Amino acid sequence: MSIFSNLGIRGSILGLAAIVTGIGVTRSCDGGGIVTSQHRVDLTFWNGFTGPDGRRMLEIIRDFNRENPDIQVSMQRMDWATYYNKLMVAAMDQRGPQLFVVHASTLPRMYRSGFIENSARLYSGSDPIPSADYDPYVLQQVKFKDQYAGVPLDIHPQGMYTNAEMLRAAGIQQPPADKASFMRALRLLTKKSNSGDASQWAFALTLWRNNFQSLIPQFRGRYLKPNGDADLNNPGNIAALQFLGDLSREKLIPPPENGLGWVGYRQKKVAMVWDGVYMLGDLLRLQGLDYVAAPIPQIGPQPGTMADSHVLCIRKGLSEAQRTGAETFIRYLSKNSIRWAAAGQVPARRSVRQTPEFASMPVQSAFARQIPFMMYPPRTPVLFEVTLEIDQAVEKVIRGNADAKTALDLANVNAQRGIDRDRAEQKIAPAGGIQP
Amino acid sequence: MQRTGFLFLAPYAVSFAIFVILPIVVSFVLSFMRFDLTAQSSAGFVGFDNYREALQDNYFWSAVKATLLFALMIVPGLLVIGLSMALGMNAMARGQAAVRALVFLPGMLNIAVTGILWQWFFNGEFGLFNFALKHFGGQGQPWLSDKAFAMPSIVLMSVWWTVGGTAIILLTALQQIPGMYFEAAALDGASTTRMFRYITLPLLKPVMSFVVVTTSIAGFQMFGQAFMLTRGGPELSTRGVAQYIYETAFNSYRMGYGAAMSWLLFALISVFGIFQIRMMRRPA
Repeated sequence: MSIFSNLGIRGSILGLAAIVTGIGVTRSCDGGGIVTSQHRVDLTFWNGFTGPDGRRMLEIIRDFNRENPDIQVSMQRMDWATYYNKLMVAAMDQRGPQLFVVHASTLPRMYRSGFIENSARLYSGSDPIPSADYDPYVLQQVKFKDQYAGVPLDIHPQGMYTNAEMLRAAGIQQPPADKASFMRALRLLTKKSNSGDASQWAFALTLWRNNFQSLIPQFRGRYLKPNGDADLNNPGNIAALQFLGDLSREKLIPPPENGLGWVGYRQKKVAMVWDGVYMLGDLLRLQGLDYVAAPIPQIGPQPGTMADSHVLCIRKGLSEAQRTGAETFIRYLSKNSIRWAAAGQVPARRSVRQTPEFASMPVQSAFARQIPFMMYPPRTPVLFEVTLEIDQAVEKVIRGNADAKTALDLANVNAQRGIDRDRAEQKIAPAGGIQP
Repeated sequence: MQRTGFLFLAPYAVSFAIFVILPIVVSFVLSFMRFDLTAQSSAGFVGFDNYREALQDNYFWSAVKATLLFALMIVPGLLVIGLSMALGMNAMARGQAAVRALVFLPGMLNIAVTGILWQWFFNGEFGLFNFALKHFGGQGQPWLSDKAFAMPSIVLMSVWWTVGGTAIILLTALQQIPGMYFEAAALDGASTTRMFRYITLPLLKPVMSFVVVTTSIAGFQMFGQAFMLTRGGPELSTRGVAQYIYETAFNSYRMGYGAAMSWLLFALISVFGIFQIRMMRRPA
């Protein structure tokens, strides 16, 4: 006889209702997290680390949980594409995780949603994360007026991966570092078969937009004017896009339908690609690919690349115990970010990057050399609209359907329309610029 | 007795009310609101502004164009190929059950699996189709990266994916046609073509009407196929209205505008649905 049969149907229903109500009241009181005992705080940590980096993060969390028995962190990973939607909806209703990761480029939108706690006290107090340990440009990405939206965990710049074996076979001893050596490598490494098709490509575009954005700082380009207006069609951006368009027009890169890129690089059909440092995780699983990483060659008048950061954030509305626990975890991750770097990331903290352990990571340290010249994606709440326009412009130029100026002129008009609409809806004055 | 019936219905009715009726009502209200998830303080009623914006939005119209193109290609494609397959299966003396199961098999796959599979088929460098073309002395084609090829490629995959269901429905309808009509026509000396024209097609008309309306509705909601194969490219030429709605609501977080476009899509589907039903009801 079960307990329910003794209680009768009505009693069972009332009992279940009481349990459900009890759980609900407990959860509403503690801000959504579960305080399982007087001393232990359970925290949920959401992120999009679905690749090998996720396994590394899991190891770090296990160690944290072992070293901090009063705080238990459990991680939930999901694909970045769906992650932000779920995070947004859950966190705005105060049901989301206590801890989560947001890309620096996405922070303006997320921060405006109002569910991210000010992390300023992490940078001060008894065990502060020293703000001086960050490059000012990186820290600026998480700052909104006098508030901090989180703590940058890493930097993931775009850089160049080369196939050392293919380079050596072509008599190239070092990855190209400037335009002249890059162009020379393009011509030396592309091989045609008897049918006239290329059997080996020197270089292939990976994510077209990222490849373009990696060149923007090199040509002193930018996305937005200081007042927040769109500035996609500035001369620097046009020159950067024109360079990629010329590569396509001169057939120095595989045609768009070819579908090479990262896959071609893995298969040794492409000698050089530009991609993020996070792709290292994929290479580590490969056997027999002799790869060497280097900064993006200097094509424009100055070095530069595109980058972004994973930022550790805390949700608003937590109890003091939960918030303190979340801060303890963030401090731990930040201090131990050299372990995270092994998964294919560059630590955001300068002191960690200066360790011999980091210097022994060839890909990460090669990519890290670009930090003084890197540029993050546009800092705007209408990131999706602006990015879509960049995508369209790049696609048109690579496919040879428009010249760089025409494509970026149109992109700028459309991006400005999105910015204007957002300003009108949010009642933001253009003169004030976008200060999310 | 009636009460018991309602009790059995109750679980479904409750879930239907919560997960179907309520979202419909909410989306209708939302379509008249400015509701940006990233700035809820700016939420408010804006009347028909969202609808007005959609009608002036070039991206909306390019999405409508892509949707119409897809629907106009897939509906006749499914009908013709599905009917051909149904006729073939109907004529089979043996092994019909096995073939029917095989034909239906692709429809059992979800769109993610189907999309990944066909991405590889269409791949310009290592894809099956270009491999076959090159093997027989032809040239590889830009299946997904050329505007002229991308939508037909998506339609091709969609036909492969869904034609089994259409063929089975039509086969069932074919098997319902009494054999005596064909026997009488044969005695009168009617050819196979005339029997098909004057017996099979007229008697299949109600089912074909059903197939046309349901595949049109599915066609207008095209999302997963393009999302998996092209992400709406090249140059947004395969981004349908459903994908644009998704991106507006869940990438730009503009719920009100996304809801308004959903209702415009509903209106478009309704107009086409009513038009198709009327056309099919007209006497031959």
